[in-house]
Amino acid sequence: MNDEIRKTLEWRKLDNSAKLFPISAGKKYSTVFRLSAVLNEQIQPEILEKAVEIALEKYKSFRVKMKNGFFWNYLEHNSKKPIIEEEKDYPCKYINPSTNNQYLFKVTYFESKVNIDIFHSLTDGNSGALFFKEIIYSYLEMAHPDDFKEELRTYRKVDYTIEDSYIKNFDKKAKNNNSSKKAYLLKGGKLKLGAISAIHEIIDLNALKEQAKNENCTITQYITAVLIYSIYQVNFANPKKRPIKICIPVNLKKYFASDTITNFFSYITVEAEMEKHQLDTFPKILEFVKKEFEKKLTQEEIKKTMSGNVKLGTNPFIKRIPLFLKKPIVRLSYLEIRKYTTMTFSNIGRIGIIGKYQKYIDNFFMLIAPESAEKIKCSACSYENKFTLTFTSILNNSYIEKTFLSFLEDKKIAVKIESNGVNM
Amino acid sequence: MLYPQKLNRKKGDLLIKIFIGISIILAIILVLINHFVTPDVQWAGLANAGIIYIWITVIYAISRNSNIATHVLFQAIAISVLTFYIDYKTGFRGWSINISIPIIIMIANITMLILTIVSYKRYIRYAICQLVICLLSLLPLFFIYEHLVVNKTLSYIATGICFVNFLLTICLSAKEVKDAVSRNFHI
Repeated sequence: MNDEIRKTLEWRKLDNSAKLFPISAGKKYSTVFRLSAVLNEQIQPEILEKAVEIALEKYKSFRVKMKNGFFWNYLEHNSKKPIIEEEKDYPCKYINPSTNNQYLFKVTYFESKVNIDIFHSLTDGNSGALFFKEIIYSYLEMAHPDDFKEELRTYRKVDYTIEDSYIKNFDKKAKNNNSSKKAYLLKGGKLKLGAISAIHEIIDLNALKEQAKNENCTITQYITAVLIYSIYQVNFANPKKRPIKICIPVNLKKYFASDTITNFFSYITVEAEMEKHQLDTFPKILEFVKKEFEKKLTQEEIKKTMSGNVKLGTNPFIKRIPLFLKKPIVRLSYLEIRKYTTMTFSNIGRIGIIGKYQKYIDNFFMLIAPESAEKIKCSACSYENKFTLTFTSILNNSYIEKTFLSFLEDKKIAVKIESNGVNM
Repeated sequence: MLYPQKLNRKKGDLLIKIFIGISIILAIILVLINHFVTPDVQWAGLANAGIIYIWITVIYAISRNSNIATHVLFQAIAISVLTFYIDYKTGFRGWSINISIPIIIMIANITMLILTIVSYKRYIRYAICQLVICLLSLLPLFFIYEHLVVNKTLSYIATGICFVNFLLTICLSAKEVKDAVSRNFHI
């Protein structure tokens, strides 16, 4: 059997978290996130195409297409080439499996920016960043062969597995700690169907660190508190007194030993009941957020949340429902589940780049797809002295984004704004 | 500048929606003409069945997410349903189950047989469709059992071809069939 035919026989199950994405995803709920790199030069599409091919050789787990099984979807080797295109659509759009030669990611470029939109079934933000960095490294090596002679000769080794780390680490006996209260959902007029506003607030990282240090908290805690405060200031006419709930994805590799390149994340939810906890000033909100993090960001609590989700995917009854029946059931239940979060704030942290490559890169962005319940989502990453917070929104106003910006400016933190021009 | 000034929405979906809308209007017009001009002969149902068949085929063909075996399976089912419906609407003289469905099953099985022989190393892609076609090929036997068939020859030939096809598949590609079943039915 020749190599190509042997490869077509390769397949793998989806990890426990990834199983639900293809069932629940659609045009209105894409479950796609984007990573962008702004270089200090114009992108050359031919080189980018080769760079993606090289990165795929190293990260073979991305060279897959999604197939329908009778009970679950699965991933199968994809022998075609991915299509690289100029950016012409809104970010984080649903990746239709029948386009882009069935790849579950899409690489686009615009002037000096390279984007990769990744369907969450494939991997999470942290592992997606590894693959994206490999594309950028390969691109720069080929675009500047004289500067990277040595790198072109040697093979940059990557180490990863494709194990399902959820199954390996979950606790059968752990009790679910999910809140039963629905969240306050953001209100306001919506953009035309399919449109997404992206606003990047590029914050001076040192100033932000200093501010967080003064407040005796982490950057993620500080930003979470400012988000709750901004929502409270702008949008909180809440007759039902529902809590503002911020969902914060957690990279589980920090808590459990794992080299997997597939999804391995969980989340904590900061649940701020504004009246009950008398959270009417920023200092009170920040103190509350710090306590919530202290209580919920522990290995034991994270394990409870993760185990609850794993139990759902491993439930013998759910496992045996045919896929065509699972889809409507999961989609209907997701309409309800999504009402338990006001906003997601995902911070993938520092994007570490090898020193020699840094002079060619200006910045990195991360974006996550908003949807009908969570109309605004917020994501962040940092590179050198820039902490870039990105608001993606389907609302036709940017009040929360502007309130957030004013708050930081009042604290004398320098912020630069970039956007896709939809709302700002 | 970080983003293109004009962000496009794809036009393809819109075009399909427009054509589907036109087809629906056309179908309604056909029903009205049938109702008011020739109420004794119900030809509009047949014409609309043809429109539905064409649309299902077009949408399936442009999905680009299917291999040749799924097209064979899909067409075998779609044409069988269409011919049965035409037979039913024109007085159910039984030509669909006596002649056309056995012939469709024969063609589907022969096509799959050729696919198996020509590309049995890639057979894993076709294995599940092959198994479903084999299951569907039991339909003529069911018609015979229910005494719905007058001329049984074609039905027996169709079932025989299916049997040969199934045996050959198992001989040539048993491992692939097993693998295809394990990946498609994993829980």
